[in-house]
Amino acid sequence: MNEAIARLQQAMAAQGYITDRATATAAYLAMTLHKPLLVEGPPGVGKTEIAKVLAGVLDTELVRLQCYEGLDASTALYEWNYPKQLLHIKLGEGAGQSIGEREAQIFSEPFLLERPLLRAIRASRQTVLLIDEIDRSDEEFEAFLLEVLSEHQVTIPEIGTVRATYEPCVVLTSNRTRELSEALRRRCLYLWIDYPSLEKEIEIVRAKVPAIDTKLAASVAAFVQAVRRHRLIKTPGVAETLDWAHALVALDARAIDDDTVSETLGCVLKDEADIRHVRAEVASRGAAAVVAAGESAE
Amino acid sequence: MTALADPALLVTNFSRRLRDRGVATTTGSSIDAVRALAAIDPTDKRDVYLAFRTIFVQRRNDLAIFDGLFEEWWASAQAAPLASRTSAGSATPNPPVIAPGDEPKRGSATALTRWASSRDDTDGDETIPLAAPSTHDATATKDFRYYGSDDLSALEQVAALIVKRLRSRRSRRWRQARRGARLDPRRIVRLALATGGDPIRLARRQRALRRTKLVVLCDVSGSMDLYSRFLLQVLYALQHAFARVETFAFSTRVVRITDSLERESYREALQALESVSDTGWSGGTKIGESVESVRAGWPRLFDRRTALIILSDGWDTGDPAVLGSALSNLRRRVGRIIWLNPLLGNPSYEPLTRGMQAALPHLHVFAPAHDLASFERLAAHLSF
Repeated sequence: MNEAIARLQQAMAAQGYITDRATATAAYLAMTLHKPLLVEGPPGVGKTEIAKVLAGVLDTELVRLQCYEGLDASTALYEWNYPKQLLHIKLGEGAGQSIGEREAQIFSEPFLLERPLLRAIRASRQTVLLIDEIDRSDEEFEAFLLEVLSEHQVTIPEIGTVRATYEPCVVLTSNRTRELSEALRRRCLYLWIDYPSLEKEIEIVRAKVPAIDTKLAASVAAFVQAVRRHRLIKTPGVAETLDWAHALVALDARAIDDDTVSETLGCVLKDEADIRHVRAEVASRGAAAVVAAGESAE
Repeated sequence: MTALADPALLVTNFSRRLRDRGVATTTGSSIDAVRALAAIDPTDKRDVYLAFRTIFVQRRNDLAIFDGLFEEWWASAQAAPLASRTSAGSATPNPPVIAPGDEPKRGSATALTRWASSRDDTDGDETIPLAAPSTHDATATKDFRYYGSDDLSALEQVAALIVKRLRSRRSRRWRQARRGARLDPRRIVRLALATGGDPIRLARRQRALRRTKLVVLCDVSGSMDLYSRFLLQVLYALQHAFARVETFAFSTRVVRITDSLERESYREALQALESVSDTGWSGGTKIGESVESVRAGWPRLFDRRTALIILSDGWDTGDPAVLGSALSNLRRRVGRIIWLNPLLGNPSYEPLTRGMQAALPHLHVFAPAHDLASFERLAAHLSF
């Protein structure tokens, strides 16, 4: 039993992130081995949250890069400050500098606009760099990331290579909408997060929604667990459970009955067909039976 | 793990076992694992398990293999750290599939010769209705087995549709362009250097074109005979509407037929194919070996912009494991793997052949290809 991992797990719990030892071990290794951590799992299980919590635990800045198709160096890494460059050329016109000198001047650090990757690398202390939903970016961007991930450095053609003084702690998340390249996977530690067990989910609900009644928290978690066993178009994640718990607290609900379920089901299910399906289930068996089904092990 | 005399040896042993089971491991991960053993408590099985899982597993599908091997490795490492070398991995359970004896024993009369030369007759009457569609009259749902040569124009329309889909995609990426829609500030600043900071000459950029490539592997073995003639027409139409298509025909071996299909007229293309097929075809279908030899022989055909289309009924007389590994390798490299199976048009058909079973986990799309409508639907899968 390693003390450091247990301490990290506790520290994450203190930040409101209830997790298991697997996640804590992965985060611990990412920090000690200085390797990026690739986190995969269904939507809404708290992949992104890991990075936020790590930033909290390390008491440092979280630098976030949201990926999308077509993301390129100018939005992820750096961009030149064009208006400033043009002004500078204009002002320096009479100074008798050669074009080469002027070019060297305007393509230097003061004219650089930092984007997330460069910021994480140039920070004056260790940061947590979150590269969110990497599967949404394209193959070209993935290749571009490799230098940052393995060498902790970026290359700007006009300036040269910028090395990290403090290697950032990197967390990548993916929803597996496409297969990531071998090269990227090879450079990362890997963590698969699944939906939490019933006990864990109750714990999460109570930690995140302190105002909730103990019994209600248990029923909410059990209901969602039961719903997850159905073949749904969009299976609810922990985020949905928490939304629902918040809503029920706001509505002063004491228990889960047929009426509250039908009023608030939209918090849990985000697809019309799914809602119809679960409504029918609740109508035929009653909400209490669904909760009971969720409480029993499969 | 009490006797941790040489962690490096134990770790590499484990890594090799993983590799034997098809989990991609690297020396880098072994080094990480040794470093991790120093950072955690190496006598705590749970911690070692979690750490190794984080380091060695790179995708979810590998988790199960890892779990099994770890148990085995831990036990052997506990008992005698080095004795474990000899014990190889146990066999993985195979999914229930049809026994090899169930496959149709077709003769050697397969393939391109017949495929091409039977072009003028309409054999709709004497065919056994394998996948009989309910309506024979509507062209869109007319099974290819009932097609005559004059249906070519309808096929050409569908091919044009598919190609339009492939061509009209624009990437989200920017590239320099003489007449682009947007200005390119970085280049404008550089140009402005020459004119004292006045941006006189403007540079422009536009969205890059997304260049999708098609690689088509067409099964021309005996069991596909009824369909391949019409699939050939589809291929011909595709090849003519779209430049970036590479086409291969296979039964027990592979022949690249791209050049033959590029002939001026369909008839010339058929003649060219006949001469290609003169080199001789033998019976049976080796899908796995065929896919593998295209993969190994034309490696540069496959990248993220490639859609690989396999036209086959999945009757494989070769080793299905070869097909599985070839496809799983390709799956990581190409944008789409699409398997078109003419038999899938029959509602009662189930993909139970060993070849199909081995292929299914690696496919992006598994779709029917027995009529025009199914090809029209194919167009939707080609934008990725």
